[in-house]
Amino acid sequence: MAAKEDPAVTHFREYIRINTMQPNPDYVSCTAWLRIRGEAAGGEVEVVETFPGKPVVVISFPGTRPELGTLLLNSHTDVVPVFPEHWKYEPFSAHKDSEGNIYGRGTQDMKCVGIQYLEAIHRMKKQGKTFTRTIHLTFVPDEEIGGETGMQEFVKMPEFKKLNAAFALDEGYANPTDKFSLFYGERCVWWVMVKCTGQ
Amino acid sequence: EDGQCPWWDAFAKACADENVCLEKTVFPAATDSKYLRIKGIPALGFSPMNHTPILLHDHNEYLNENIFLRGIDIYCTIISGLANV
Repeated sequence: MAAKEDPAVTHFREYIRINTMQPNPDYVSCTAWLRIRGEAAGGEVEVVETFPGKPVVVISFPGTRPELGTLLLNSHTDVVPVFPEHWKYEPFSAHKDSEGNIYGRGTQDMKCVGIQYLEAIHRMKKQGKTFTRTIHLTFVPDEEIGGETGMQEFVKMPEFKKLNAAFALDEGYANPTDKFSLFYGERCVWWVMVKCTGQ
Repeated sequence: EDGQCPWWDAFAKACADENVCLEKTVFPAATDSKYLRIKGIPALGFSPMNHTPILLHDHNEYLNENIFLRGIDIYCTIISGLANV
């Protein structure tokens, strides 16, 4: 212990501590924090609202050939609810134990990914690397409740078209083995509402 | 798949360079990628977490800091590969 924490880990834990739990995610704090991190990484930050109070935070890093289709790195900012009584540590504390395990709602799904994109680009920019294609990071709301008020609406907006996305990355799953899971498609969504009236 | 799509080739090469062994599969649930794919934008679902139990939506969801930091290394290679396609 007592070893100095990597700043990327510190940023990750800060992000976990912002309570973006459905059904009342704190998008105001989240957006303000992402703006600071995005600007610190040298990105251009723009906030687009799909609906009032539903912000999509876009952090852009222009490429050397901005006319080419862009790389879209997507993540969602909201997380699912918790039953705190079943947790070893407070779910929004980002508690780190002696083995370096960081506990918190959103550590896997998927605040890790959003901040990893940002930290990776920040590091490469500091190394002086440039990219041919423009990179856009999108931090979208409401994925966990189906995305109707988030990504589904955002892709219809002129602000989305303007991004000129040609290829995208989004979340996967953890893998307990030494391998990494990769999802190239997904099942068709067909949600059914079942109403049980009882006797 | 290999050799058919420059995006896939760049992604696969970056993973090979990082010794990331992939288990390719179809997503068991639904996520925002579907809205992108409907718009004709190819998308891959990837979170660089191996040696990690699947705890999304569960109690005691956690991620080890070394897995997290390794993920940043992996993304450096992947992002630089994809952004230079």
